[in-house]
Amino acid sequence: MSLGSGARSALLQRLRSARDIYEGVYFVPYRTTIHREYLRQRDLFLVLGFSDLLGVPSPVQFYTLELLPEVLDQFHEWHLRMGMEEPPEGGFRCC
Amino acid sequence: MASDAAEPSPTFLKTLRAAMDRPLLFFGGKGGVGKTTLAAARALESAGEGTRTLLVSTDRAHSTSDALDVRLGPEPREVRRDLWAMELDPSSEADRYMAGVKERIADATPPRLAAEVGRQMDLARASPGAEEAALFDRFTRVIEEEPFPRTIFDTAPSGQTLRLLSLPEVMTAWMGSLIAQRRKLGTLGRMWRNVAGAAAGSAGQGRDVILEALEERRERFERTRAVLCDPGRTAFVFVVTAERLPVLETHRTMTALSGHGIPVGGVIVNQVLPTSTTDAFLLGRKQREAAHLADIEDRFGDWPVGYLPLLERDPVGTDELGRLLGLMRGHSTEDCT
Repeated sequence: MSLGSGARSALLQRLRSARDIYEGVYFVPYRTTIHREYLRQRDLFLVLGFSDLLGVPSPVQFYTLELLPEVLDQFHEWHLRMGMEEPPEGGFRCC
Repeated sequence: MASDAAEPSPTFLKTLRAAMDRPLLFFGGKGGVGKTTLAAARALESAGEGTRTLLVSTDRAHSTSDALDVRLGPEPREVRRDLWAMELDPSSEADRYMAGVKERIADATPPRLAAEVGRQMDLARASPGAEEAALFDRFTRVIEEEPFPRTIFDTAPSGQTLRLLSLPEVMTAWMGSLIAQRRKLGTLGRMWRNVAGAAAGSAGQGRDVILEALEERRERFERTRAVLCDPGRTAFVFVVTAERLPVLETHRTMTALSGHGIPVGGVIVNQVLPTSTTDAFLLGRKQREAAHLADIEDRFGDWPVGYLPLLERDPVGTDELGRLLGLMRGHSTEDCT
């Protein structure tokens, strides 16, 4: 038995949809968890590297200056994510 | 008081001298007690014994240049047979350090952040810890390269020294977790991009220069800490005068350093008045000094103590300076002259 080319592509289409649904069901919760963890780690990194912004003196401030561009970038991303359009007072002027 | 227990103690003096034979020697103490002079004296003596010696000074007043009668700069310079010396200027060390950081981050800085990164860098350069940090960074390099069988540091005043030397420990812990954190972030970021596809964008890739620089620094600091804590390689010798404030401050510093596991070699009490004096004014001073000397024996009794007499005139020239430490005695009541 053989399928016509129309029927064949329709079947492939269905299979593809089934895969997308499966991926969606499987990945979405996974994706959210990973993304949340990723953001959590980024914030921790921000606090570790530039704790002096929160008034906790960092003993390694001078030895981690190379991280400045990255931390600034993350700081910007962080205040937007926290619902602040402007960066909070006393921090970086990133906008 | 230790006066009856304090027989002249040549063994103790020998212990102090042995500490001063270690490959890495630091002179500490309050400003004005003579540590620059004694560091230069030890360096000259060491070179005179035929050991290739490097003297590293961080004195802003260029006293080492004056003592050795040569112009010294930030690179080792041969002063005489077997003696090399360098004078580090904290301010230019800080400029050099910041320039290095700027160079490393230039490529990683997005143009829209460049101005703010520059502003933050300037703030950091102007803050009080910058010079100290840069100096310490340089210290670790000098120690690391160790091209000399003996290196003598005439260190900055004790408060600063204490912080410098306790930093590697803190730093190793703190920087270690920062680096681990950043690495973890890299892994998570990759996982996130794998599952999210285009939604994650392509940020945060290919900035290994920075991670490498941090790793290199952390490892160098860790190695420095190991050397500093090794009593076979390092000694910290403190210089005091028989006065209240230098004694108090130095005692605090020594206790703290011992607590950090840094080997304290002993104390040199500088400018002790001669016992042979008959002058009424000097006898009065001598009486006051005796109280401070008793206090010194009380506080520093567990460490080797050496005593250097106040000389009629300051040691002049490299020969006299090189013989200075030969005048050191094991007990204050011995006639130093």
